[in-house]
Amino acid sequence: MTALRWLPWAALALLPLVLHSNFILTIFIFSFILGMTAVSFNLVFGFTGQLSMFHAAAFGIGAYTTYLSVSLWHVSFWIALLPASALTVAISLVVGAICFKFKLKAFYFAVVTLAFSELARLVVLNWNNVTNGTLGLMVLDKPVLWLPGAGSFKIDGTTAWYYFSLVGLMLTVLVCAIVLRSWIGRCFAAIRLNEDLAQTLGIDIFRYKLLSFTIANILAALAGSLYAFYTGYIEPSYLSIAQSLDIIAMVLLGGRTSIVGPIVGAFVLTGLPHVIELSAEMRAMLYGLILILTILLMPNGILGTLVGRRRAA
Amino acid sequence: MLLEVIGLTRRFGGLAALSEVSFEVASGEILGIFGPNGSGKTTLLNVISGIFPPSAGMIRWKGHRIEGRKPHHIAAAGIVKTFQNPQLFLELTIHENVAIASHLRLKRQFGARRFAELLPWRNAARHPEIAARIDHVLALCRLDDVRDQFAASLSYGQEKMLGVAMAMMCEPELLLLDEPASGLGEDEIGNLEAVLRDLRAAATNLCIIDHKVDFLGRIADRAIALQQGIKIAEGTPDAVLRDPRVIEAYLGRQHARA
Repeated sequence: MTALRWLPWAALALLPLVLHSNFILTIFIFSFILGMTAVSFNLVFGFTGQLSMFHAAAFGIGAYTTYLSVSLWHVSFWIALLPASALTVAISLVVGAICFKFKLKAFYFAVVTLAFSELARLVVLNWNNVTNGTLGLMVLDKPVLWLPGAGSFKIDGTTAWYYFSLVGLMLTVLVCAIVLRSWIGRCFAAIRLNEDLAQTLGIDIFRYKLLSFTIANILAALAGSLYAFYTGYIEPSYLSIAQSLDIIAMVLLGGRTSIVGPIVGAFVLTGLPHVIELSAEMRAMLYGLILILTILLMPNGILGTLVGRRRAA
Repeated sequence: MLLEVIGLTRRFGGLAALSEVSFEVASGEILGIFGPNGSGKTTLLNVISGIFPPSAGMIRWKGHRIEGRKPHHIAAAGIVKTFQNPQLFLELTIHENVAIASHLRLKRQFGARRFAELLPWRNAARHPEIAARIDHVLALCRLDDVRDQFAASLSYGQEKMLGVAMAMMCEPELLLLDEPASGLGEDEIGNLEAVLRDLRAAATNLCIIDHKVDFLGRIADRAIALQQGIKIAEGTPDAVLRDPRVIEAYLGRQHARA
């Protein structure tokens, strides 16, 4: 079982050696980065039971802050991740504290986080002299990485980004696995399943919800930074509702009961438009159809149905 | 005095579920709380454990006021309550349910060091002492055979015992039990009594609400009786049950005169 768990990762690591199609590797890179967002969102949605609509905002805030730190302070990409994370933590704590202090649950939590998410998008859209509004920003820099043996080099080109985003995805999965397999993950499960009981067992539900929301948002912000520096542009639609809904669709499709399930959903929804050539309207309809069928036929998502795993505490 | 409840009042709208209830729990005793349906027993435990704030009055725990504090603060301070209708994590196994309840134990034992234990090569969650404690509690509550079953599959009696097991895992100094024996068969009640005696031997103080007068009479050291939110009697269980006002509350006026 343990070997089986490492097999897909090993296969992904070896893939560029046998597959030289930049087109397909690019689809993988997008799947990895969106997979990071979906996996982190599932920490708060699938494992803590809170339907946050704020993850697109966290993704966008991460992208903008990292780039703006690089261009304003002339620091490296890696250093710029610090202010991006710090700002995400600060905003998550404020938004989360407001929502959880008022004990907003289910749809109320979704609606209020959505409002904050829109607020963030409108700030980005209208703060023209910093964010360049609707036109967005061009990101011409690439992160520079130093590796023993290889020296320092720019992460540029498809293969480099393939490995860079794969490592990002593995780190995201690792952080989620460590958190979820510890007592923190058990507190998240307790909150998801029975808040009243969790409280009488001494679990501070306010604090653990806030922790889950904040960790998920930091990871989404890091994914956003990667996305911006890979694609080379940032625009306000990063923070849009559509982006949030895409992430939710990935999680539902892949399976919210496991840590890696959302990655499967990210692959399907990223790859599908390239496999089937359709107009934008038809594509949206097809997505909707797939999502409806999945929820009806496979409530545990693709991976959940295949592996038959349930969420452990 | 371990727990002092002074003039506790709780109103729901115009209805006073508790009016000026005062009593004490001394160290090392089992207090029984009698009363017919709707007499405010469950409300009393809910106010003590922080589920509802009181409308008036004071609760002192080891000399510190705790009324109106949040349930998790009160649980951490050492007062844990079981639910009348068992509250469980139904999707999880029995073992996982009890493991979640080890939260406070882990917190007390490790404090902030719990975060160092997050490193992948260390794991406080699998700490052998805590695992052994979980095994002990499961065995005591006779749940060790079903430990890998889902909580949703348990019988009512087992659900109740799981509720007690989870509360035990919190290692409270005062355990508030809300009708632990209701709905249990005779042998299950025998098992429950054995568990409660074990708890007492481990210096846990108990405060028990129950309808089963003979069960509570056997196990309690002292008792109080409530009717319509008012304390109407206090003393040994026998004396309380012979009190004419208690008999009247339970059975009506004719029986009290007879």
